[in-house]
Amino acid sequence: MKKIIFFTFTIFLLAGYSLLNGKTPESSDQCFVCHEQLGGVADQFKKDIHFQKGVSCAGCHGGDSRSDDMEKAMSKSAGFLGIPKGDDISLRCANCHEKKEMMQKYGSHLPTNQLELLKASVHGKLSTNGKEKIIQCITCHNAHGIVSVKNPASPVYPLNIPNTCGKCHSNAKFMQTYNPSLAVDQVAKYRTSVHGMRNAKGDPKPAECASCHGSHGIRATKDTKSQVYALNIPETCSKCHSDAQYMAGYKIPTDQYAKYAISVHGKALLEKHDVGAPACNSCHGNHGATPPGVESISKVCGTCHALNADLFSSSPHKQAFDKEKLPECETCHSNHGIMPATKAMLGVGKDAVCSKCHTETKSTKGYFVAKKMRSYIDSLDTSEELALKLINDAEQKGMEISETKFKLRDAHQAKLEARTMVHSFSEQKFKDVVVGKGLSVTSASIVEAKEAVDNYFFRRYGLLVSVLIISLLSFALYLYIKQIEKKQAEKQS
Amino acid sequence: MKKLFKDAYDYLDERFHLEDLVHFMGKKYVPVHSHSIWYYFGGVSLFFFIVQVVTGILLLFYYKAGPDLAFESIQYIMSKVQFGWLIRSIHGWAANLFILAAVIHMFSVYFEKAYRKPRELTWITGMLMLFLGMGFGFSGYLLPWNELAFFATKVGSDIAGAVPIVGEPIKILMRGGPDVTGATLSRLFGFHVALFPGIFTVMLGIHLLLIQRQGISEPMHFAHLPQKEKKTMPFFPNFILRDLLLWLMMLNLLAILAVFFPAELGHKADAFGSAPAGIKPEWYFLFMFQSLKYLPAHILFIEGEVLGILLFGAAFALWLIVPFWDRKTARGEQNKLITYIGIFVIMFIIVLTILGWVV
Repeated sequence: MKKIIFFTFTIFLLAGYSLLNGKTPESSDQCFVCHEQLGGVADQFKKDIHFQKGVSCAGCHGGDSRSDDMEKAMSKSAGFLGIPKGDDISLRCANCHEKKEMMQKYGSHLPTNQLELLKASVHGKLSTNGKEKIIQCITCHNAHGIVSVKNPASPVYPLNIPNTCGKCHSNAKFMQTYNPSLAVDQVAKYRTSVHGMRNAKGDPKPAECASCHGSHGIRATKDTKSQVYALNIPETCSKCHSDAQYMAGYKIPTDQYAKYAISVHGKALLEKHDVGAPACNSCHGNHGATPPGVESISKVCGTCHALNADLFSSSPHKQAFDKEKLPECETCHSNHGIMPATKAMLGVGKDAVCSKCHTETKSTKGYFVAKKMRSYIDSLDTSEELALKLINDAEQKGMEISETKFKLRDAHQAKLEARTMVHSFSEQKFKDVVVGKGLSVTSASIVEAKEAVDNYFFRRYGLLVSVLIISLLSFALYLYIKQIEKKQAEKQS
Repeated sequence: MKKLFKDAYDYLDERFHLEDLVHFMGKKYVPVHSHSIWYYFGGVSLFFFIVQVVTGILLLFYYKAGPDLAFESIQYIMSKVQFGWLIRSIHGWAANLFILAAVIHMFSVYFEKAYRKPRELTWITGMLMLFLGMGFGFSGYLLPWNELAFFATKVGSDIAGAVPIVGEPIKILMRGGPDVTGATLSRLFGFHVALFPGIFTVMLGIHLLLIQRQGISEPMHFAHLPQKEKKTMPFFPNFILRDLLLWLMMLNLLAILAVFFPAELGHKADAFGSAPAGIKPEWYFLFMFQSLKYLPAHILFIEGEVLGILLFGAAFALWLIVPFWDRKTARGEQNKLITYIGIFVIMFIIVLTILGWVV
C-alpha cells in the first residue's frame, strides 16, 4: 500500500512539475491538444522540428497557447494572428530565425541571415501579383512538417531539391507569369546529367540546384554576385571538383580548375574578365552537365571555333581520328589546360603536336607537310620582325611611315588566319595564306621601310650639298658686295 | 653671257623704261648707323612671306581640305610626294620665322620711333600684316586636321568666344558653327589660302609703296647731324645685295631646320577623343595664353579671363595707334616713356612665353 501511495504521489508530483514548467508541448500547448483531436496539420506538426524543439503553434500563429479556452486563446487580446499570408509568412519565420539569441535558446546554430539573403535574391525581389514576393520560406520548407535539411524527408534535402525547385521551374504556365523566356527544362536536363543521375540513385553528394545557385540568396545568372555568373562559374564548380576528399570515390581528377585557370580560356575569363570566354558550362553544359564524348568534342569546340571545326571536318585528319577513336580537338590542344596555340605546336620539333603521329618513318607525308608549314610560318615571322625593325628605325629617324606600319598589320592578320587554316592540313591552302597574304605584305613593308631609311640619308646628303651651294653663293655675293663697295669708295675718294 | 644679259635688259628697258626705275633706286639711300642691322628684318620678313607663298602653292597641289581627307593628304605629302616633306617642313618653319622676323621688325621700328610722322600709315599696315600673320598661323594650324590642331583650335576659338558681346558671333564665324567640325576646317582653309593672302597682298603693296615713296626712316638723332656726317649707303645695289645675302643665309637656315626638325603630323583628329596632355598654342600666342591662366577666376564683377582678353585687346589697339598718341615723338622730341613701355612689353612677352613653355 505504501508503494502504491508513493507511486501515485510521484506521478502527481511529476505531472504538476511538468505543467508548471511547460516542457512538453502536448501538455502545455492547448492549441495542439485541441488540434490533435482534429487531425491534419497537427499530425504533420508532430514531426516538425519546431514542435520537437518546443515551439508551440502560437510561435507562428500567435494567441495564448496555455489557455484551454478557445475563445480566450484565439482572441486578438491574446495576440492571435491566424494564418499568416503573403510576405508575413517569411517575416513570422524571421521573427525567430533572424535572432541569434532566440536560435541559441532552442539549441540551434543555424545562420540568421536567411531572410536578408532571400530579400536580395531573385525570388525575394520579384512578385507575380504585385502584393507578395514569389517565394516564402514555406514554399521550399513546407509549413507544419518542417524538418532539418539533413533529414531525407525534407523537401530541401539534396535528393529532393531538384523536385522542390522543379515544382515552379518546370511549370511552364507558372514561369510564364514572370519570366516567359526562362527555360523550364532544367530538371529534365538535370536528370540526364551525371549529377542528376547520381542524385536520382540516392547519392546526396553530387551537385543539385542549390549547390550551384545557392539556397536563400539565389540571384539571376546575369547578376555579377550570382554563383553562376559567367566569371564565377569555374570557382563554383571547383568547390566540389577541386576537393580531392569530396570527390574521392568518383574516380575523376580534381585538377581541372588548376589547369583551366592557367589555360587560354581561363586567363581570358578570370584575368581579363572576358565573359565571352568559355567557362565549365560552355563545354559541359550546365543543368545537363556531362563530359563531352569523343565524337562530340569538335562540335563543342566548334560552337565557338566554327571555322577551325569546319576545316578539320573536311580534312584528311577527320577520318584518321575517327578510325583511331581520337578525341578531335583534344588530341592536339588538350582539354582543361588549353594553352595559346603557338607555332611551336606546328612542325616536327619536340614540342610539335604533329610529331606525335607523324615521323620520318611513320605517316611520312604528314611529317613533310608539317615541316614545310612550319618553315612558311617561320619565314613570315622572320620577315615581319625585319619589317618592324626597319619601320622602327625609319620612325626613330623621323620619317613618315605610318601607312607602311598600318599595312604591316595585315601580316599579323595573315598569321591569325594561318592559325585557322592549319586545321585544313593542306599545304597549299596554308601557303596561300602565309605566303600569299602575309609574306607579300612583309616584303612590301621591308622595301618601303628601307626606302624611308635610305631617304633619311638622302636628305642629310642633300642638305649637305644644298648648304654648301648656298654658302658658296653667299660667299660669292659677299665678295661681290665688297668689290662694289670698294669701287664706290675709290670713286668717292 | 654678259652680252646676253645686256640684250635682255635693253629689250625690257625699251619697253618698260627700266632705266627710270634703276635711276630712282640709285638715288635712294639707306642711313648707316649703329642700329642699321634692324633695317634688314623687314626684308627678311618679306623673304619668309615669299617662301610661304611659294611653298603654300606647292602644298595646295596635293592638300585636300575636309575632315576625311586633310590628314590623309598631308600624310601622302609627307611620305609619297617627292620632296613633299621638305616643302611642308619649310612652310611650317618659314611661318614661325616670318612671325619672329616681323616681331623683331616691328619692335625695331617701335624703338627707333620710325612710326612717327609721316610714316603712320606704314606702321598701321605693318601692324595689320603682323596680325594677319598670326591669323595665318592660327588658320594654318588646323589644316593638317590632327589631334593637336583640333584641340588647339577649340581652345583658341573658345578664348575668342569669351569676349563680351562680339565674342560668340566671332567664335561662330571662326568655327562655322557651335563646334570645331569639318565646317571649321573648310572655313579656316578659305581664310588661309584666299582671304588672308588677298588682304595681306594689298597691305604689303601699300607698305612697300610707302617705303619706296617715303624712303627709309632715319634715326631721330640724324635730324641734328650736318648733312656730311649722315652716313648712308645706296639702296641699290648695296642694300638690296646685302638683303639678298641675308636671304641666302635664311634659306640655309630653313633647309637645316626642315631636314633636322621636319614637321610632325601626329594622330588624326578625333572629336570624341580626349585632348592631348599639355596642349599649348603656338609660341607667339603663348604669352597671352599664360597670362590668362594666371588671372583669378573673378576680378571684381568681371570674369578674370574676360578682363584679360579685354586688356590685351586694348593694349593691341593702343599699340596699333601709337603714332597718333605719341605726340612728343611727332614733335621731334625724345619720348623715353615709349622706350620704357617697349622694354616692359618685351620683358613681359619673354617671361610669360618662357613660363608658358616650362610650366
